[in-house]
Amino acid sequence: MTLRPPPRLTGLVALAAVLALAIAFSPVRGGRPVFLDVGNLTDILRQVSEKGILAAGMTPIIISGGIDLSVGSVLALSATLAGSLLMRADAGLWPTIVIVLAAGCLCGLANGLVVARWRIQPFIVTLATMSAARGVARYLSGGAAIPLGFGEGGAPPAFRALAAPIVPYVPMPAVLFLCSVGAIAVYLTWTRAGRYVRAIGDNEATARLAGVRVGLHKTAVYVIGAGLAALAGLIHCAQLEQGNPNDGAGYELDAIAAVVIGGTSLSGGVGTVGGTLVGTLIIGIINNSMGLNNVDANLQLILKGAIILAAVWLQTRRPAA
Amino acid sequence: MGFSQCNLGEPWRVAMNAEVAARARDFPDLEIVYADAQQDNAKQVADVENFLRQGIDLLMISPNEARPLTPIVERVFRAGIPVVVIDRGIEGDQYTTFVGADNYQIGREAGEHIAAVTGGRGRIVEIRGLPGSPPAVDRSRGMHDAIAAHPDLQIIHSPVANWLREEAMSQMEMALAAHPRIDVVYAHNDPMAIGAYLAAKAKGREQEMLFVGIDALPGLDGGRQAVADGRLDATFVYPTGGREAVEIASRILHGEAVPHRVVLQTEKITAKGSGRISHAGPRG
Repeated sequence: MTLRPPPRLTGLVALAAVLALAIAFSPVRGGRPVFLDVGNLTDILRQVSEKGILAAGMTPIIISGGIDLSVGSVLALSATLAGSLLMRADAGLWPTIVIVLAAGCLCGLANGLVVARWRIQPFIVTLATMSAARGVARYLSGGAAIPLGFGEGGAPPAFRALAAPIVPYVPMPAVLFLCSVGAIAVYLTWTRAGRYVRAIGDNEATARLAGVRVGLHKTAVYVIGAGLAALAGLIHCAQLEQGNPNDGAGYELDAIAAVVIGGTSLSGGVGTVGGTLVGTLIIGIINNSMGLNNVDANLQLILKGAIILAAVWLQTRRPAA
Repeated sequence: MGFSQCNLGEPWRVAMNAEVAARARDFPDLEIVYADAQQDNAKQVADVENFLRQGIDLLMISPNEARPLTPIVERVFRAGIPVVVIDRGIEGDQYTTFVGADNYQIGREAGEHIAAVTGGRGRIVEIRGLPGSPPAVDRSRGMHDAIAAHPDLQIIHSPVANWLREEAMSQMEMALAAHPRIDVVYAHNDPMAIGAYLAAKAKGREQEMLFVGIDALPGLDGGRQAVADGRLDATFVYPTGGREAVEIASRILHGEAVPHRVVLQTEKITAKGSGRISHAGPRG
């Protein structure tokens, strides 16, 4: 089993290039580029945090040779469930968080068991979950969003901590995003389970012959991915002060894009969550820079497509091992 | 009669169905069957074909898109079944009545409101809906025409947020970073106006500017409540037409003559006029 070196350097080169462009084209106020304001930089982290958490959870799944299309719907279901528990069931802060995370993990368990036991392609399995989770979310709320009210008879104000800065300029969603990346990095790099995931993605049959419990580890990556999607859903609910069953559509594709820009191969076996962090930041900086400059929305889509393609091209230009 | 709705995933259309059902209770001789095309033209054509097989006496339809739905509506109309078209039109004139609001007019009234509250001077952020969609185009054009008479009213930033609260929040953060002073945020719908408000509040700048939205849906997550809570300065009713369509359908079935086109009027909702009291607890 030969593994190619992680593409950290090329990823960082692409990130540096995007940063340089963002600074060069930033609007200037008081002699300083607005892009470099501390407030703006932490805004970027907040703006990418939800999709970044999805992308962090997506990374082990893709490394294992799988894919998860259901995370956007699981995010919506989690946000709606959180709104429903807080506003209609009067569940407290911690019961809400525990129930939502457990429900998310349950979606992942369903994905993982069907993929691992029945050997059905993850693309189809998670496509089914994507539809079902969205349906449950809409059923739960009757189709409309559940707005959060705080104070008497409403949601506990402590729930807002999920969206607020911990200390000035450090928003909680950004901290949870970086913690998720850190946790996945530990899992993939320093645990035996993480090395097995890589081995399964590299060659499942070989891993099985070597005695790796393939079913267990494949199930685990889907549970982790959906659990993180539920965390992103809780943040989503707190940030927007509502649980909307129609939100999160297409988030799974942005998460997959961030993972791939970060150098993880869609064919499995190769990739790092550090790369995913870089990929997420590249997308976030591009969006922020174009937003600051009030670039025409149609042009934004074209430029984003071109830059994603360029970033992936940079990643694949390394010599084959 | 049959009511073919193009997409029940949108709160505004859920409200339209609720209005139809509520008004229909006042006409005991009307029985309505519903269909939801889930934003799919082909499904909506099939829905109408199903209605025909069920033997409806009148068709109410809010088409997903004009062109793909025109042939089936013409077929129904030529078969002698009256057709009431709601909100989005179809091509030609092979239908009995069209009921809908005028987005251009709503944009104009929003622009005139902005000119009035700012005294004709101010810096505006315009948060736009899905590019190219008729409501986004007309709500923008109407507002631009209304403020054209005030050269000191400037649109300094006009991001697209695709009708979504979450995207409006991110876009507003960038507008706040890029502009030290903003006087008015005009959003093409209420969810985007509320998203912009949340972004400004997180930066402690929500008092600096007024937020104006469109739609004024009822319900806790609607724009009326946001005005009552003081989050939005004003919102403009985009009537669903559900109530009026049922009334017209009843008149048609009783053999009365009805106009070929009914344009619904908007209404401005401000904190004074909305008369609703916040029950979401202390706001902040």
